Amino acid sequence: MQIASRRPWWLLFAGPYGLYLVILLVIPIAQIAAFSVLTYSPTRIVARELTAGNYTRLLDPYFVQLFLRTMRLALITTVICAVLGYPVAYVLARARPSVMAVGLFLLVVPLMVSTVIRTFGWTVILGRNGLVNQTLLLLGLDPIRIMYTETAVIIGLVNVFIPFMVLPLMAAIERIPPSLEEAATNLGASWVQMFARVILPMSYPGLVSGALLVYTVSLSAFVTPVLMGGARVRVVGSQIFDEVLVSFNWPGASSLALVVIAVTLILVFLALRLTRNVARGEKPS
Amino acid sequence: MSVRRPVVLPVAVVLVYTGLLAPLLVVIGVSFNAGGGFDFPPRGLSLRWYSTFFASTPFVTAFFRVSLVVGVLTAIGATMLGALAAIGVVRFRFPGREALEAFFLTPLLVPHILLGAALYLYFVRLGMKPSLLTMTLSHLVISTPYVIRSVTAGLVGIDPRLEEAAMSLGASRAQAFFKVTLPLLRSSLMSGAIFAFIISFSDINLSLFLSGPGTTTLPMHIFSEIQWGGDPTIAAASALQIVIVGLLILLVQRVFRLRLMI
Repeated sequence: MQIASRRPWWLLFAGPYGLYLVILLVIPIAQIAAFSVLTYSPTRIVARELTAGNYTRLLDPYFVQLFLRTMRLALITTVICAVLGYPVAYVLARARPSVMAVGLFLLVVPLMVSTVIRTFGWTVILGRNGLVNQTLLLLGLDPIRIMYTETAVIIGLVNVFIPFMVLPLMAAIERIPPSLEEAATNLGASWVQMFARVILPMSYPGLVSGALLVYTVSLSAFVTPVLMGGARVRVVGSQIFDEVLVSFNWPGASSLALVVIAVTLILVFLALRLTRNVARGEKPS
Repeated sequence: MSVRRPVVLPVAVVLVYTGLLAPLLVVIGVSFNAGGGFDFPPRGLSLRWYSTFFASTPFVTAFFRVSLVVGVLTAIGATMLGALAAIGVVRFRFPGREALEAFFLTPLLVPHILLGAALYLYFVRLGMKPSLLTMTLSHLVISTPYVIRSVTAGLVGIDPRLEEAAMSLGASRAQAFFKVTLPLLRSSLMSGAIFAFIISFSDINLSLFLSGPGTTTLPMHIFSEIQWGGDPTIAAASALQIVIVGLLILLVQRVFRLRLMI
């Protein structure tokens, strides 16, 4: 039941949070945008002189590499999450309600525990005397050094963010009527064929939103790369942190942050368009 | 007739759940370690790291005086702001309603580490020192969308005929809302509040920038202890967080549909 009134009563309800977001989200980000075109000064931090230098600086090999590395890590993480996430999402979506409830619980609890704690757990597992190396020694193999490599960062990111892939995929697969699967297999399709021809194309919107979520959170990840990659695997997140709190190059950090926000918003926009086209294509008209 | 599912399915399920749960179990294991290192499996069992935790002023302050306080304040504030906002966009018709609904969820799109940096620079500019207030104000930004989601789901799920029935029996629109709809929203309000608390309680990306002397949150303190090397007190603190979050999620699953929260 929706109320259409001449007086804007809705403002009374939606107004407070709307105003709140303007004051604590829109204006702070606008301030970053303003900082990003001002000059960095070692004495005053931000000098009131317009410059494009914070952006042209991003074309230096150091920053190009930083962005490429971060984007590569995020992409690999997203692909692994999709490959591992699909089977899990399928099993959960087709499980009995009681099994699904347990599966969901075990997916959401890790997701909601602080990233710091989960990453800490991984550093213990992968560390020099960690579980992995203990097992290798037991098997008579040489211990390996995984910590502080890109591999370690990817292992960490995949495990921290995979629920973001499984949850939307599961929702998408649930909406596919099981009768379609039966029809495909009754007509002689193997399970793999059925998956490729029925589940995959029909759960595509779930894949797009899952991939979008995993990619964007990986792109701006900080804790996992810092704890598992150390100084060797620098990413955009750690660069921003250092420029804000260590070197006080606020204009520089602002330009970096704005680029990441812009990339994120462009990806969200593209994902919305992609999924909308699919939804339109599905309608039998 | 059912077709055999390939072995890949159970393998992937085991792999993913091991990856998700192993770090938590390892942390809990290390917290009971009798030795002084991050040993897993633990070398003998003891509760010494829990007593170290409760004897450590920085840990106790971070847990009880900062994280719990900010979490509860955030839950209360987010529930009020979020419930009002959800009612506003679900129950009223006005131009730009859909745009406003999308705007309300933007905090979920802006990467939190960037929001943290932006808020840090904003508070510095306003001359506001790091405090429980600035921390709570910041956590409200990221946790209110969860309340909006659960209350929206709750409102959409309520049969509008119930309110109409109340009104045809003589209740005013406001009476019908407060006496019929609001009690039905109790479980979605509660899960919204719990989720808001958890988001605040687990946050690190905002705390990284907004923590100051006396306002260091538990995850932030754990993070800096890990960087300094630390001892299994970190694991004890982490285990406490895992247990609290686990129990709260269980509660949400009991009173509401967990599905609608994430």
